Amino acid sequence: MSILLKNGRILDPSQGMDMVGNVLIEFDQIISVGPEVATDEIEEIYDCTGLWITPGLVDPHVHLREPGDSHKETIVSGTQAAAAGGYTTICCMPNTNPPLDTPALIDFILDRSASPEAGGVFVAPVGALTVGMAGERISDLAAMKKAGIVAASDEAFPIQDANVMSQAMEFCVQLDLPIMAHCENLALSSGGSMNEGAMSAMLGLKGIPRTAEEIAVMRNCILALHTGCRLHVMRVSSWGAVEMIRQAKYLGAPVTCEVCPMHFSFTEDSVKEFDTLFKITPPLRTRADIEMIYEGLSDGTIDCIASDHSPHASHEVDVPFEEAPFGSVGLETTVAATLTMLTHKGILTPLETVRKLSTMPAEILRLEAGTLRPGETPVAQVTVIDPNVEWTFDRNKTFSKSKNTPFHGMAFKGKPVLTFNGGEIYRDAFFEQNRYQMVR
Amino acid sequence: MRHLITIRSLEVEHIQELLDLGADFKERVIANKNVPKIANRVLGLLFFENSTRTRVSFEQAAYYLGIKTANFSSHGSSMSKGETLKDTILTLRHERLNGLVMRHQMSGAPHLAARFFGGPVVNAGDGQHEHPTQALGDAMTILERKGSLQGLRVAIVGDVKHSRVARSNAWLLNKMGAEVRFVGPRNLIPINTANLPGEVFYDLQAGIQDADVVMCLRLQKERMSDGLLSSSSEYAAMYQVNRDTLKWASPDCMVMHPGPLNRGIEVDDVVADGAHSAINNQVENGVFVRMAALYWVFNELEIPEKPAKPVAKKGVKVGR
Repeated sequence: MSILLKNGRILDPSQGMDMVGNVLIEFDQIISVGPEVATDEIEEIYDCTGLWITPGLVDPHVHLREPGDSHKETIVSGTQAAAAGGYTTICCMPNTNPPLDTPALIDFILDRSASPEAGGVFVAPVGALTVGMAGERISDLAAMKKAGIVAASDEAFPIQDANVMSQAMEFCVQLDLPIMAHCENLALSSGGSMNEGAMSAMLGLKGIPRTAEEIAVMRNCILALHTGCRLHVMRVSSWGAVEMIRQAKYLGAPVTCEVCPMHFSFTEDSVKEFDTLFKITPPLRTRADIEMIYEGLSDGTIDCIASDHSPHASHEVDVPFEEAPFGSVGLETTVAATLTMLTHKGILTPLETVRKLSTMPAEILRLEAGTLRPGETPVAQVTVIDPNVEWTFDRNKTFSKSKNTPFHGMAFKGKPVLTFNGGEIYRDAFFEQNRYQMVR
Repeated sequence: MRHLITIRSLEVEHIQELLDLGADFKERVIANKNVPKIANRVLGLLFFENSTRTRVSFEQAAYYLGIKTANFSSHGSSMSKGETLKDTILTLRHERLNGLVMRHQMSGAPHLAARFFGGPVVNAGDGQHEHPTQALGDAMTILERKGSLQGLRVAIVGDVKHSRVARSNAWLLNKMGAEVRFVGPRNLIPINTANLPGEVFYDLQAGIQDADVVMCLRLQKERMSDGLLSSSSEYAAMYQVNRDTLKWASPDCMVMHPGPLNRGIEVDDVVADGAHSAINNQVENGVFVRMAALYWVFNELEIPEKPAKPVAKKGVKVGR
C-alpha cells in the first residue's frame, strides 16, 4: 500500500529543503522524499504540480473546550476542523471545565482524540500549571507529564504572583517542561475589553493598556532567564512585547513566542460599532504593532504562528461588547490568513511560512513532528497546500461547532487541500478530482 | 428605519432637524396648541441602569405626543432570571412594541438592540459611550442663549474619560461648528483622544479661557475609590467652576451641568444658581428634544408646518 505525492514543491524547513519532487508514503510511513522515487508498487498518486508539500502542520494553541463546554466545541469537532485546516498535531489548552490539572483528565483527552470519529490529528495536551488554574498551588505536573502533557499553562488565568511563577518555573526546569504563558497583568487590564487607545476612547469602553501585556512579558522573561525554564509566550500583540522578547533572547533567556492571525490581520479600528467578533485577548492593537509583528516574524523574534482557536456559541457572542467572551475560531483560517497576509505580501518566504506553522512549534514543544525526514515522526505527517487558490471563507461550511470568526466572507489566497496523518485524513474540494489517481 | 443611537453617526442636517423640531415643540407645548400626536404607537422604556431624570423626561415627552409607554426594568424581569439582552429585545419585538428607548450600563448595548428589535431605538445613555438626547437638549439650550453654535468656544470640564455626556456633546458641537475643549486631570481624560473631536487642556484656566460655554461634568465618587483621583477636595481645588474661576471665561459665558449636581465639587452654589447658569433650562429642554427624537424616529418627517394641524393619521402603519 503506497501513496505517491507527485511533482510538488517540497518545503521542509527541518532540512532546509525547497525543491520540486515527490514524497512516497508506504503504509503509514514516509519512505522517501526527493526528485526521484524508486518504486514500482504505487497504488495511489496525488498529482501535486503547483502545490506545496510540507510537513504536517502543528498548532501550539487550540481550545477544544472538552470537558465542560461541549456546546462550543468537542474534541471530535475540533480535531476535524484541525484536519481541514492542514494540521496533523494540535496542542489543546487546559482552560476547560474542570481544568486539565490531573492525569485522569489528560487520559480522557488522549482517549477521545484517538477515537475513530475524531479528526485523525494528534492532540498534545497542555496541563494546567496550577491547581484549578487558580495561580496558587503547582499542579501534579510530573504525573501529568507521564500521562502525556507537552507543556504547562494557566492560559487565560495568568499567574499574578511572581513567586508562584518563579517556583513553577523551577519545577518545570526539573521536569523539562516548557511553560506556555498568556502574559497579562490583571491589575492593569481588569474590566477592559479592547485596546486602550483612540478607539476605546471613542466607544467609551474601558481599555486594556499595552503595559498590561508588556510588564507581564518582561516579568516572565526575566524569570525564565534566571530559572532557565523554557518559556513560550502565547499570542504577542504589542510592539513592546515583541521588543521585550527580542531583548530576552539577546540575553540568552530560553524564550519563544507565537502570534495569532487576528493580531497581524486586524487593528483596533475593526471593532467599529462594537463588533464582538473582534474581541480577543490580548486585544487588537494598532498599525504600528502589526509592523513590529512583521519585523519580529521576519527576524525570527516571533517563532511561530498559532490559531488560538477559541470557539464560542453564538448566544455568547451576541451580547454587549463588554459581556462578550474573548477569542475567535481559527483552525480553518490560520493557514489561509498566514499565506494571504504574510507570505503573499513578502513578509515571509514560503520556507519560513512552513517553519512557523510546523517545524518551529514542533521544536518548541519537542514533538516528533514538523519534518518530512523518514522515520522522524511516528507516522507520515504531510500537508499539501495550494498557495495560489483564491477562495472566499464561509464560516457556515466549517467543521468547528462555533462560528465566531471575523474572517467570514473574506477573500483568501491559499489553502491547505490535503492532510495526511498516517493516511489521508482530509481532502479539500479545491483539490481537483483529476489530480488523484488509483493505479491499481 | 431611523434610530437615534449616536450623535457621532448623525448627519449635520439631521442634527439641525432635531434641534428645529425641539424648538418648535417647545413653542407648541408652552402655548398648549397644535402639539402633534403620534397615535397607535407603544414605546418601550427600557432602563437597565437607574435613572429618574431621563426616564421622567422621556415619559413626559411621550405623554405630550400621545404615545403610550410600557416600562421595563431589569429588576424583577426575566433578565434577572438569566435571559440575554438579545432574547429580551426579541420578546419585546414580538410583543409588537413600536419603538424602544434604552438606557444600559454597557457601551454599545443599543447597537445590539437595534440589530434585533426591528423598530426604532433611541439611546437614553449607553455606558460611557453616548447620550444623544442630553447633547441635543444642551445644544438647544445654548442656541436659545447664543443664537448659533458656529464658532462658539465650549469647554467640557471634568471626567471626560467616563462621560457619555461629554462624548455626545463633543460630537454634536463639533459637527455644528463649535470649538470643543476637553478640560480635566490627566487621569480623567482618555490617553488617546485622536478619535474625539476636541482639544485637551489639563489646566482649568487655559481650558476655560474666553469660553462661551462651560459644561461641567458630574464627578462620580467611584473615581476616588478606583484610585484615579486623590480626593474630591483636591479635584474641587483644581477644577471647580466657581465665582473666581469663571472670571477666566467670557463675560457672557453660560454654565451647564447634566446633573445630578455635586454642589461644591464641580461647581459652587453661586455659579450653579447664578445668572450664568443654564442648568434648569437644560432639564426643561431635555423634554422637548426627546419629543423631537421620538417624532423623528417614528415619523421620519420633516418639521411639521406651522400652524400645524393635528397630524393626519390616515394610512399610518405601525412603525416596522
